[in-house]
Amino acid sequence: MSRRSLPIDALDRTVAALSDDALAEARHAALAQFKKRGFPTTRNENWKYTDLSKVIELSRRSLQTSTDAERPDIDRIRELQASIDAGWLVIANGKLNRDLSTTLDEDGIEVSPLRLDSKDLRLEDPLADLNLALLKQGLSLRIAANRSTDRPIALLIVDSAGTAPVLSQVRIDIELQANAEIRFIEYHVSAGDDEHYSNAHINVIARPNARADYLRFQDRALHHSQTARLNVQLETDSEISYCGIDLGGRLTRNDLKIDILGQGASAIFDGLYIAAEGQHVDNHTRVDHRVGPAVSAQEYRGILNGHCRAIWNGKAIVHAGADGTDAQQANHNLLLSEHAEIDAKPELEIYADEVKCAHGTTVGQLDEQALFYLRSRGLDRDRAKRVLTRAFATSIVNKSPIPELHDLIGNAVEQRLRELATGVPQ
Amino acid sequence: MLEIKNLKARIGDADILNGVSLSVNAGEVHAIMGPNGSGKSTLAQVIAGHADYEVTEGTVSYNGHDLLALEPEERAREGIFLGFQYPVEIPGVNNAYLLKAAVNAKREHQGLEEIDAFEFLKLAREKMAVLGMDPKFLNRGVNEGFSGGEKKRNEILQMAMLEPSLAILDETDSGLDIDALKAVAGGVNALRDPERAIVLVTHYQRLLDYVEPDFVHVLSEGRIARSGDKSLALELEEKGYEWVREAANA
Ligand SMILES: Nc1ncnc2c1ncn2[C@@H]1O[C@H](COP(=O)(O)OP(=O)(O)O)[C@@H](O)[C@H]1O
Ligand SMILES: [Mg+2]
Repeated sequence: MSRRSLPIDALDRTVAALSDDALAEARHAALAQFKKRGFPTTRNENWKYTDLSKVIELSRRSLQTSTDAERPDIDRIRELQASIDAGWLVIANGKLNRDLSTTLDEDGIEVSPLRLDSKDLRLEDPLADLNLALLKQGLSLRIAANRSTDRPIALLIVDSAGTAPVLSQVRIDIELQANAEIRFIEYHVSAGDDEHYSNAHINVIARPNARADYLRFQDRALHHSQTARLNVQLETDSEISYCGIDLGGRLTRNDLKIDILGQGASAIFDGLYIAAEGQHVDNHTRVDHRVGPAVSAQEYRGILNGHCRAIWNGKAIVHAGADGTDAQQANHNLLLSEHAEIDAKPELEIYADEVKCAHGTTVGQLDEQALFYLRSRGLDRDRAKRVLTRAFATSIVNKSPIPELHDLIGNAVEQRLRELATGVPQ
Repeated sequence: MLEIKNLKARIGDADILNGVSLSVNAGEVHAIMGPNGSGKSTLAQVIAGHADYEVTEGTVSYNGHDLLALEPEERAREGIFLGFQYPVEIPGVNNAYLLKAAVNAKREHQGLEEIDAFEFLKLAREKMAVLGMDPKFLNRGVNEGFSGGEKKRNEILQMAMLEPSLAILDETDSGLDIDALKAVAGGVNALRDPERAIVLVTHYQRLLDYVEPDFVHVLSEGRIARSGDKSLALELEEKGYEWVREAANA
């Protein structure tokens, strides 16, 4: 057995114990694929900087111990639900929790168990295989044509591990039919003292002229790790405005893949990551401009302090014929400690004509002139640093797509920055 | 109030101030003039406490205390205000936030309570009206995307809110059209008070038509080459800076 795989007997036992439902066939096919390939290793170019050994080790222990019962922190969830006006889908340790969910029967929003068969498998990502092989339950969300609502749908992904390490899978497929307009919140929290690994896979398909505002917010505990894939397909004149915010977690890996399939589509996606001692956060984004004209623009910002590492890899591929593409990428990093490490890599591949592409990355410290300016107005050095650090993050928070959450996120960011400054672990 | 004696300062290996002596008393308005590169901004930044400048000799005392021993923020709280020649743009920091933080930092130092939020807004709006600033500027990032004139007015707004004992305005008049110049001059004149001192750094006579100085000094090659009353500014305008330099070296 190689280091990058999981014990076959434990995998087989776990999959066999899952219910014999509409996913059974796909699960077995995914399992076969996963057994062959295992987890990605750092030899894989896309995983060069992110070593999953600890996650694999945790998964192994989780499969070999009996699975811990879910014990979400109900009070905290209720409190969160009270503070955000949304329809809630709560997924606890990989299963829909109906007691805590609220949105299930809204007009024009159809939520059903995910059905897949083996031909829906795509040979692209070993973590997607793992996800499907061990998936207890998947969800399918369909937003009816022309349906538009101001009230967001909030996916609360809550993981808890009390007495044993837990491994959980989340899979949600979202289809926005033509002209549908919808606002999503994907909110990750964790509870319990043991380790947890969450592997999520979310697909969004926007049919012609549909529009999605999508905010992902992750404020996990430090003994939780997650890998998450979001695949977005944009048909003609459809739009997504996305922002992903990562404040917590030991190891976080986000794969965001956007396929521009129709002319006039627009993908605006931003990200903010804050990492301190012992954290590792990796954002891989990829946009495929398959037709033009169409627009993509991303801005990721990171704030790092202590021994930690962040990776940003932004790839844009402008395929042959995608004339009139406008693709912009930016990544800015603030390093508050010499121990923090950042690997920032923009990648542009252009095979079309008349394209407008630009990228810029910066890595730096706080601006000394700005610090002096604030101090000359009476703010002490620490306060001036905090103010500038927060400002660096604020520009992402303030353009994130669900404005009514700006305060909540701003406060969480501020709280995290305070911890960062004082070195107190989360 | 401010007593500078034989001040020498350098940045890196470059000696910039070569023995400046200057005495500023409460109630006075001083103008410091001089050609580009003569060290005017350096003098202003050293007084405000910029760490890039190394003081190699001399003393600066403020109200009888060693000013050079204080951190920049302590100087500000003690009532020193520097209007920057190049105000810094700070995107993401709200202008109102900075104004309020600055006012409260000083009030805390004075043992006063924080300013009431309503009172603060009212005061800020009043001052802005006098300066001809749109109240919308309160909610913008500090100097973010401001035009040259807007930045200078914003400096004056900060000054007006902070009511410093010693205001040093570094070329607050440069690059302003006549309306902006009048607004800035109005802001400065409003601050004139027997308890306060104002130092205007400028290289034009123009501002001095609106704010009449008690003393005029000419800085040249890091030294005060000449001091006089306001007629010195007129003489300079007429004869140019070469005249001072020649006279000083003679
Ligand atoms: N950061 C710096 N490094 C090196 N030289 C500097 C720096 N800042 C200013 N100087 C030099 O110091 C001299 C005085 O500059 P400054 O005080 O800005 O003059 P003024 O305000 O009178 O125009 C100039 O020769 C300038 O080039
Ligand atoms: Mg200057």
